[in-house]
Amino acid sequence: MPWPLYLALKQLFPSGRRFPFFTCISILGVALGVALLIVSISVMGGFGREIRNMIVNTQGEVQVRASGLMDDPRAVMAAIEKVPGVVATTPFAEGVVMLQYQNKPAFPAIQGVDANRVDRVIPLRKFVVAGDYDSLDDDRVILSAQLAMTIGARLGSKVSVYSPLLLEKLKADEILIPRELEVCGIFEIGHQQLDSSVVIVTLRTMQELYGIGRSVHGINVKLADGFDADRAAAAINHALPVDGVAKSWMDANQEFLFVLQLEKNMIFFLLLFIIVVAAFSVASSLLIAVVRKTREIGLLGALGASPGQVAACFCYQGVIIGLAGTVSGLALGFAVVHFRNDLVAGFTRLTGSQAALERFYQFSQLPAYLSGTDLALIITSALLVSTLAGLLPAWRAAKLKPVEALRSE
Amino acid sequence: MSSTAPILEARGLHKSYVSGERRLQVLRGVDLAVEVGESVSIRGESGSGKSTLLNLLSGLDATDAGELRWEGETTLSATRRGRLIGLVFQSFYLVPELDALDNVLLAARLLGPVGASERARAADLLWRVGLAERATHIPAKLSGGERQRVAIARALMNRPQLILADEPTGNLDEGSGEAVINLLLALCAESGCALVLVTHNAAHADRCGRRLFLREGGFHSV
Repeated sequence: MPWPLYLALKQLFPSGRRFPFFTCISILGVALGVALLIVSISVMGGFGREIRNMIVNTQGEVQVRASGLMDDPRAVMAAIEKVPGVVATTPFAEGVVMLQYQNKPAFPAIQGVDANRVDRVIPLRKFVVAGDYDSLDDDRVILSAQLAMTIGARLGSKVSVYSPLLLEKLKADEILIPRELEVCGIFEIGHQQLDSSVVIVTLRTMQELYGIGRSVHGINVKLADGFDADRAAAAINHALPVDGVAKSWMDANQEFLFVLQLEKNMIFFLLLFIIVVAAFSVASSLLIAVVRKTREIGLLGALGASPGQVAACFCYQGVIIGLAGTVSGLALGFAVVHFRNDLVAGFTRLTGSQAALERFYQFSQLPAYLSGTDLALIITSALLVSTLAGLLPAWRAAKLKPVEALRSE
Repeated sequence: MSSTAPILEARGLHKSYVSGERRLQVLRGVDLAVEVGESVSIRGESGSGKSTLLNLLSGLDATDAGELRWEGETTLSATRRGRLIGLVFQSFYLVPELDALDNVLLAARLLGPVGASERARAADLLWRVGLAERATHIPAKLSGGERQRVAIARALMNRPQLILADEPTGNLDEGSGEAVINLLLALCAESGCALVLVTHNAAHADRCGRRLFLREGGFHSV
């Protein structure tokens, strides 16, 4: 082991002392910064991934929308399926209806899906928490969980559906007869907004409710694993036989994803300052050490050490503090991330804020995801800042002349 | 390098310091030659320039004028100084975070990798200075005399040709001082290295082969 490293280790962890105060405090400072970055960026990454999954699980990776109605969806789907990377397609029609059960009204978004094809693109089946997805037909409906709870509907309940088409009939003084649909399933995606105000019917039911014949509003597209959605959307646009636009899930939610990324970057930037402050504290402590150990530094020079080696000794101290702080911070951060839901549950139990948390953040569980890039960025930043903290003291130490250092009081 | 060249040769050394607007001439043409195995004591009043001279002799400070040769060569790199010269200071200058054994080994570490033979030598030196039992003690757990003995062991670690000792007993009581001087002289004689001892103590100075007195910037024989 090179002696500057050996001496740096000995100065940080002196013989016979289990918990050197300066070293522990310095390491703790860096560790807290790293842990906070890990937790925050993981949770932000988790939210981002949840949102990505939610979008992909409800829209597919690419969504094709016509400017008005798509009159011949089969031809469009056939054209899209020829595009490389496209695995499956499913048509949809969507809108808003008034839904009533035992005089309790609601105004959910309604999604008409092709029951035979939708499963290939959107995993609706896995979100059905009660009832049977396979029993969905033209006289049945699947309600989102909170909506069902709000209006008091259960499996087997008959709900009345009023579409905008009925309003047209009302204007023409026709008799207003709502569509009666039986609740055959209840789904829960885990997203508060979708779970509270969406109903799913067959495509034919939706087409009847809106009076659009065999037309649809768009087509959801599933891609092969790892296939770039933006590239696929561009290829689909090139191949589209009708007036319509294909957008990747990123493109369709560009502004939302930008805000999400901006928030994540801001959090990273702000929390990085904790490490910077810790690094200042390390630099200040090492500078004091240089002053305190002036005669020892002089001794090293007198015994044969070069200024570069003396500088390296203090540089290593910054690096070692950075390494130990980063490793401890990673351990602490990952532990907090691992037990995050227990911690949040404990906190919300204490404050009685479980409902508010779900309502505000729209997720029932705190998600977490840390990409390799984010992890590398956190580790690199912490090590870089800590190493920089050792440079100024190292420079001061290297500048000391042995004879003057030995003479110092 | 000639085999007959002195270990250390100084000719016409001058050194001055600037203090405010005054220039203090500390050394005025000092000449000194130290032969292999010789012991030389340098006495002088406080401020007479003894430590300044030792700094010049060890190559830690530069002369204003004059010539210095170490084993016949006029240059002394830090590494060569580490191999050629062992330094003993009044204030010991042990590294507080290292135990006694590591403090002795430090002199070897600064010059290259440390292996089993270096460890064995450091342990042997500690045994010779009577501190084998205290090898794992940090300086704070040692008495002043013990610390200086560790410093002497450190000075001998790289088998130097010359020991420069600056008031090695200055911070010690009479008994400890006597023991340290005995040890220093014995170990130097045993290892065949030359000794230049700067001291205030006439009795200690008298035990060296050659005695010099530094006054008004030059040597006067005692």
